Amino acid sequence: MKKMSKEKISISIDARGSHCPGPMMELIKAIRQAEVGEIVELLSSEEGSLSDIPAWIEKAKHELVDMIKEDGYNRFLVRKTR
Amino acid sequence: MNKIIVIGGGFSGLTIANKLAKKARKYKLDITLIEPKDHNFYEPDLIFYAFNNKKLSKLYKPMHKLVRKRVNHIGMRAKKVETEKKKVILEDGTELDYDYLVLATGVKYIEKDFKYSEQKHIHHFYSPPATEKFRQMIKRFKGGTIVISPSTVPYKCPPAPVEFTFMLDSYLKKRKLRDKATIKFLYPLSVPFTVKEAAVVVAEMYKKRGIEFVPYCNYEKVDIENKKFISFEGEEIEYDELVLLPIHEGQDIIKESGLGDKEGYVPTDKFTLQVKGHPNIYAIGDCTDLPTSKAGAVSHYSAPTIVKNIINQIKGKEASAKYNGKTICFLVTSYQKAMMLDFSYNHPSRKYGLIPMRIYMLFKRLFRFLYFHILIKGII
Repeated sequence: MKKMSKEKISISIDARGSHCPGPMMELIKAIRQAEVGEIVELLSSEEGSLSDIPAWIEKAKHELVDMIKEDGYNRFLVRKTR
Repeated sequence: MNKIIVIGGGFSGLTIANKLAKKARKYKLDITLIEPKDHNFYEPDLIFYAFNNKKLSKLYKPMHKLVRKRVNHIGMRAKKVETEKKKVILEDGTELDYDYLVLATGVKYIEKDFKYSEQKHIHHFYSPPATEKFRQMIKRFKGGTIVISPSTVPYKCPPAPVEFTFMLDSYLKKRKLRDKATIKFLYPLSVPFTVKEAAVVVAEMYKKRGIEFVPYCNYEKVDIENKKFISFEGEEIEYDELVLLPIHEGQDIIKESGLGDKEGYVPTDKFTLQVKGHPNIYAIGDCTDLPTSKAGAVSHYSAPTIVKNIINQIKGKEASAKYNGKTICFLVTSYQKAMMLDFSYNHPSRKYGLIPMRIYMLFKRLFRFLYFHILIKGII
């Protein structure tokens, strides 16, 4: 995984406090809006995101650039690849 | 008089208007309900009607039988809310003043890429005409692949596509066609339902009953010519018959009044049910962005909070009553059995309801009577 600080974030979504399936659906919406190559940042405090988000990214063939544990939430950086 | 306007006369709007009517004399409430339709219909039974021959007209009740005396029903469409002037503008230009407003506008279905009525092999069951079209098809069905999927999340009644799939499985078994049919259930998540505890049970039942589940599958478009469902993740899934829930969005009035998010849902305080930034406006039911199901049960359990908070504000107090996210709904698993989902913001679905039982199905079947005779009238 690459270092977050070097990546330019195009769309940022704060889904903290949102319950399943909120964060996942917010991420999918943002990926739909983004251009290929752009990075989407997702902040989620929902526990299921830890497994669901990487699994969805793998299936959708996008790139999980970074996944960082913050205080009370997780930060996902996702590159749209297609 | 304290002028209260309720926009929308579905289950949510009627329930709140009728509950307020019970307090009308004591608190000097002048209640107006704006709803252009002259009837209400019972949506939860559409999953049964998709597989029977009963008249869909049985699901309708005229509005005049459902509205309490102290509610003034205006049979017109509300066009816009002017929040600064505290006015609602009707379609004919009439302006109505309010002190308190309740938004119960529900959702609308979008037909973006095709019209369901023009597609022989694409169906849904979220309206009586669409249900009628599906049941004409299923009566003639001799075998093939039936694919079921939502098109957007959120959608009304999260258990509905799961219930529909179980009913389809049972119906095909009854007609001895199950071995000639493949049923595929597509869903955006890792599990086939939004309530996790129940989703695990549903996934196991799908496996046992030979229902194929495709996880992380979000609708992108349909290749109508080649009869393929195309997912956002890049999958192509062939079908003979596609049951695709309609695209849901908030109503135009919400967007045009600047009261909605991008999808037209109303940002709503999940406890007080006040519209964020508008302390004298409340939202109830499917039009909200509440982090729970778009289901009648949510409206039923949240309506008393709105009534209490409006009364609190009339008395010059804070809107301190809080909705705790309480929801109880049924999930049909066959002709005979159902689960009972009982959850809130504070606890996941109770385990006792997750075993499919006949008694829950009995409740589900009785519910239409309760809906029209007790719940929608605000009696409890």
